[in-house]
Amino acid sequence: MTSAPTTNLPVAIAAGQRSPDQPLPPNTIAGSLSGIPGARTVANRLLHGTPGRMRLFGLLAVVSALVLGAVSVTALLSSQNAVERAANNTAQVVLAQSLHVDLLRADAIATNAFLVGGLEPPASRQAYEGAMASVARGIAQGSAAQPADAEALGLLSTQVQQYAALVEQARTNNRSGLPLGAQYLKQASAGLRADAIPTVTAVVSANEERAQAEFDRSNSSLQLAFGVLALIALLAVAVWLARRTHRYVNISLTAGIVLLLVGLVVASVTIGSISQATKQVATGTYQRAVALADVRTYANDARANESLTLIARGSGKANQDAWTNANDQVVKILGDNDGLKYLQVQWSAYAQSHAAIRTLDDGGNWDKAVAEATKGGSGSASAQFTAFDTSVTQARDEAAGSAVRQLQSLGGSAPWFAFAIGLATLVACWLVIRGIGKRIEEYR
Amino acid sequence: MSHRTTPAPAAAPGKTDGTMRRGAAGRRLRSGLTAVAAVAGLSVLAACSGVTYAETQVPTPPTTAATSKPPATPVTCDNATQSYDPLPSIPASASITDAAMKRIITKGYVTVGVSADTYLFGARNPLDGRIEGFDIDIAKAVAMSIFGDPNKVQLRVITAADRIPLLENRSVDMVVRNMSMTCDRWQDIAFSAEYYRSGQTVLVAKPAGATKVDTTLQQLKGKKVCAPTGTSSLDKLRSVSGPIAVTAPNHTGCLVLFQQGDADAITGDDTVLAGLAAQDPYTIVSSAPLITAEPYGIGLNKNDRYFASYVNTVLAQVKSDGEWKTIYNRWLAQPLGPAPTPPKPVYGRR
Repeated sequence: MTSAPTTNLPVAIAAGQRSPDQPLPPNTIAGSLSGIPGARTVANRLLHGTPGRMRLFGLLAVVSALVLGAVSVTALLSSQNAVERAANNTAQVVLAQSLHVDLLRADAIATNAFLVGGLEPPASRQAYEGAMASVARGIAQGSAAQPADAEALGLLSTQVQQYAALVEQARTNNRSGLPLGAQYLKQASAGLRADAIPTVTAVVSANEERAQAEFDRSNSSLQLAFGVLALIALLAVAVWLARRTHRYVNISLTAGIVLLLVGLVVASVTIGSISQATKQVATGTYQRAVALADVRTYANDARANESLTLIARGSGKANQDAWTNANDQVVKILGDNDGLKYLQVQWSAYAQSHAAIRTLDDGGNWDKAVAEATKGGSGSASAQFTAFDTSVTQARDEAAGSAVRQLQSLGGSAPWFAFAIGLATLVACWLVIRGIGKRIEEYR
Repeated sequence: MSHRTTPAPAAAPGKTDGTMRRGAAGRRLRSGLTAVAAVAGLSVLAACSGVTYAETQVPTPPTTAATSKPPATPVTCDNATQSYDPLPSIPASASITDAAMKRIITKGYVTVGVSADTYLFGARNPLDGRIEGFDIDIAKAVAMSIFGDPNKVQLRVITAADRIPLLENRSVDMVVRNMSMTCDRWQDIAFSAEYYRSGQTVLVAKPAGATKVDTTLQQLKGKKVCAPTGTSSLDKLRSVSGPIAVTAPNHTGCLVLFQQGDADAITGDDTVLAGLAAQDPYTIVSSAPLITAEPYGIGLNKNDRYFASYVNTVLAQVKSDGEWKTIYNRWLAQPLGPAPTPPKPVYGRR
């Protein structure tokens, strides 16, 4: 085998020549040069001397340009994806919180029906079935939307079925006029609070954490730091080339670098604005939606505990304590958020009716207390609570819907920017190759 | 051997031919394009599948502590049914000077701790929501005597385990809740004279076609037998070796466990078990001789001796004027047959 050229001077060697008796060598691939006879010579020839170094640096420049472009595109897309996932997680938080409320509502309805005595009114039966149907739908939707929740929601589904089965047994016994029914209802209620509610709470907090993590991820500026490194490498190549050739203006190479720089700036500005807007949603409508959903959960828990206190008939101190605790939370959250004065007014109207019911029951007037707690019509505790629940649900839906909409609209332009930057990267690569190629050509 | 080359593109530098070089540049550009496409594709992939969430963790329910607690060493005495002497006659409420009773009279009603799930004794009627039964009628008789109105009672639903603490802290004025008079309980509270005599037995699943079974606690070896917490039935159950004791907050809770297959039998007073059997046709109360004698008394605060004497006077009157039999027949004649003679009161406690 002939030795490789050792001179710095460019050596012209006719290309494509090989002895006719030799088979065509396989194409070389990176890292396998040593295994192929003759390949080394080619590599040496290509990489030797100044043109060789130019080629090498040219390759480095192209790789840097590609990295720079890829980093801009990835950062943009990952920022957009994070926002999209944040929107999905927000929707899942709202869904899980609705599950929580529907379960409490179903339990409050079932408990109240037993409190009144006699056959349950068809309206309350319908309301119970509506709440349970909404739970069943929510579980299916939730596991489809977030596979990581599937296991937990599967467990919840089992627990809800157990609850529903016990409530049905309670109804059956109740219809037969047997006190056994009340016992089944007690067991159903206790089981719901001991098993199903903790499960649904875990799903809510897991999704809140996920949404929060995505809010944080929406700022992917850190990835752009790698882009800056690639840019420095490109600039270094340009400087080296200029020094080596003593030609300071290389329009193609400069244009390529400027194009990439523009891409990087566009990506970073877009990401910055996305993350800024996301932060606003996270501390604005999202936070409000979660707070309102919490209010609704506490409120429904309070209402269920009001019935349970009456059912316990003098031994419901634990339930009344739970009511007080839930009430404190409702008042606190409503006070902490702006623009919820009307909800505060509605809640305190209900809280006053509740106090009146407690006064009656504590004064030995259980029958009157039950009548007050279960009667309908305007001004009744039940009507006041419904009014509050409707308002708070509406306010929550507005906040949650606006959070999801805002998030969904945020990343909308990002794929187009990413596409444009990708194209610009290709053009820049071509410019870089052209610029360096020109110098190689001139060198000869 | 001459220089071997890879096909055309790599050879380009050796050539002076411009077209050849442009071709090479074109190739490089093309491979660059492929690389960009690959990188872009990969980055999109990475961005899409980059986030996988950890499975949502659900809280594990706390394991309930073992319920088997050794029975307290029973206090023995020979006068568990002995109560305080009755008053010579029922005094007019306005003339009563005893502080405890004055408090009740001023309040306007008597607060009574009752059961809401002991069918026939104290149970909530699902149809109208009222609590009714033998015990409730006895409580109403006391209210009738004090206030002239049987409805001046505040029924407070309590569990068996609540009975003594609530009497001690005066949350209730009296407990009429199938409560057995025992030497143990006399340590903490006072009782009226005996108003009902019951005894402990077991309730088991009814064998097909059977009309009578003679199962005893001893025969239920290795079976899960349920008794409510805080009852003398549970103490008795735990003193018998063989059955595995399981507990529920009340007798109806035991029936729920029984129906769910978590208990094989229920032990308690025959009257209470009759109430359970009436709610589940697949059960039967054993006809074996009663394990214990359970004298029911009205539970009172330990210091309310005058009130105890007053209640004893009311009970004596109710027993003698036929009211007791009327109440008995109203609730218990159907499952247990016509009213027997009321239990004889024992007085003279100091």
